[in-house]
Amino acid sequence: MSDAARKFLVAVLMFLAAGAAIGWLYDRPGLGLMVAALLALLWQVRQLLSFDRALRTGNFDDFRQGEGIWEQIFSRFQYENEKAKRRKLGYRQLLREVRKSTNAMPDGAIILNLENEIIACNRAAKQLASIKRKKDRGQRVDNILRDPELTRLLRANDQSLTVEIVSPIDGGQWLNCRVVPYGLDQKLLLLRDVTERIRLSKMRRDFVANASHELRSPLTVIAGYLDSLAGGDDVPADWVKPVSQMQGQAKRMRHILGDMLELSRLESAGVASAEDAVDVSRLLEDARSAFEGHADVASIVIDAEPGALLRGSGAEIETVIVNLLSNAIRFTPTEGKITLAWRVAADGADLIVTDTGEGIDAEHVPRLTERFFRVDKGRARDQGGTGLGLAIVKHVLARYEAELVINSEPGEGSEFRCHFPSDRVVVAPS
Amino acid sequence: MEASDLTDHISRRFNKDLEDLRNQVLAMGGLVEQQLSLAISAIVSGDSELGLKVAEDDYKVNNFEVNIDEECGRILATRAPAAGDLRLIVAIIKTITDLERIGDEAEKIGFLASKLAAMDRPSNSYRELKTLGQHVAHMVRDAMNAFARLDVEEAWEVVREDEQVDAEYESIQRQCITFMMEDPRSIKRVMNVTWCARSLERIGDHAKNICEYVIYMVQGRDVRHTGLPEGTKSDS
Repeated sequence: MSDAARKFLVAVLMFLAAGAAIGWLYDRPGLGLMVAALLALLWQVRQLLSFDRALRTGNFDDFRQGEGIWEQIFSRFQYENEKAKRRKLGYRQLLREVRKSTNAMPDGAIILNLENEIIACNRAAKQLASIKRKKDRGQRVDNILRDPELTRLLRANDQSLTVEIVSPIDGGQWLNCRVVPYGLDQKLLLLRDVTERIRLSKMRRDFVANASHELRSPLTVIAGYLDSLAGGDDVPADWVKPVSQMQGQAKRMRHILGDMLELSRLESAGVASAEDAVDVSRLLEDARSAFEGHADVASIVIDAEPGALLRGSGAEIETVIVNLLSNAIRFTPTEGKITLAWRVAADGADLIVTDTGEGIDAEHVPRLTERFFRVDKGRARDQGGTGLGLAIVKHVLARYEAELVINSEPGEGSEFRCHFPSDRVVVAPS
Repeated sequence: MEASDLTDHISRRFNKDLEDLRNQVLAMGGLVEQQLSLAISAIVSGDSELGLKVAEDDYKVNNFEVNIDEECGRILATRAPAAGDLRLIVAIIKTITDLERIGDEAEKIGFLASKLAAMDRPSNSYRELKTLGQHVAHMVRDAMNAFARLDVEEAWEVVREDEQVDAEYESIQRQCITFMMEDPRSIKRVMNVTWCARSLERIGDHAKNICEYVIYMVQGRDVRHTGLPEGTKSDS
């Protein structure tokens, strides 16, 4: 019990006792007590009413004359009240700062609940995705941004997944979207303007395609004259070797240009059509017979399931097989062994090219599919090859939503495994 | 009617059913918008593979229509909705028919694009079709936005815009006729261009229809075949 409370209790008791004592003087102690209690009650009621008035009007000055415990209650209340007010002001300021900073963000941010309904968004989201702040609150975000890709993203609930959609505002900006869950039941949808990046990569693609195309015609002329020179008899003896070397290099250059064109075509193409079904085991046979019998070629073994077909374009699958096989041949000694396998599993099918060649150091594996990447700068170039083979393989596979997995042990050999998803595989009844 | 009106039913299931239905219509709209924009870019870039893909994917739009139709029938039979809810269902049944037609026209354009890709291309790469196409795609998008936000103002905007599309279609047709008269060998190609323009113009009409259903749904007023209101302001 606080000091003030004790004092208050003592004061009330003394007041009542005084009333009883005066009543006792007049032989009416009961009446005296009652009068005292009534007076005490009236006084308390007055204080209570004045406290109530002060609360209602918010004007505490009138209450200053409060005494004893009432003064204590009052000052305590006023203290808390002012503290709360100050805190509220602080919060409001903080909120204003936060809102200012989110509005200054160049990326759009939309807060969603679990039903994908919009709770709030910043100014960038309003500008990038034409979301109306007041009107669209509570509206599902995929009702406003109706791109099927975004719906897929929201369903996937995968933080690492990003999709690119065209902004609904005029000008066709590209927005990169991702979802970050936070708190217990909220998600943040982030939108980033990537128009510039997409424009640049398109420019690069177009440039490579145009340059390769433009280089082809002069090269055809050069190669044509070289061919007729080499075929004729009037070449001086000391020019025979240079001419044949020039011929070889011109041929190589044509290969490189062809591969570059193929790459830029693959890059701009979407998902491969699934209309035709390709007999992979037959393609493997064809590839083997094309390479076998040449000098310096290791023995090639085929282990394929004949009944399994792959949905897609035959020419593209052939490109994959030929590129992987010619790589394997290049790095496998004549006494080695190359296995071409085509196997069906529960989650799809695998096209596997295994060799017993020299293998690749683990540090090089992640970079193998880069354009013009070579593990050994001097060597591979002497053996032919454009440096684009695996890049082409990777891009073809991307069109099939397939994956390229490379396992390699230096000195033991390598395994190139292309894993195709199950909806690309048709198993014919045998 | 406000968007929140949909959420004060005694039966929470009913609410959820209506909300789901609306979301599905908008998802269908999103798919149709995508099909349309892909079809237009197939024409402009002369990409026959893309055009065929659009034509191939039309079945997805059709599936949406069948599912939503069935769901509408179920709600009508089991819930017997009245007033605003009934208008919502009626508007949805009509909207999906128009969306499906837009999908069909996009399919047609995709198919024509694959044919046009194999022929000579004019020096302007079908700029007039691109402009008309963008205009129409814009209308479809605004129509779906008006549907999502129950926004009568925006709906009127689209209804008004249809006149411009009609004018643009007129001028493309005139241009095509001139081409055909100048060089009869180009008739085959230019005929395809006319068909494309025709399809785009039809899509504009469908977008306009959808907006009229939105106005009906929100205000309970049938504005078909009545012309634009005076002062072009709605009287909501």
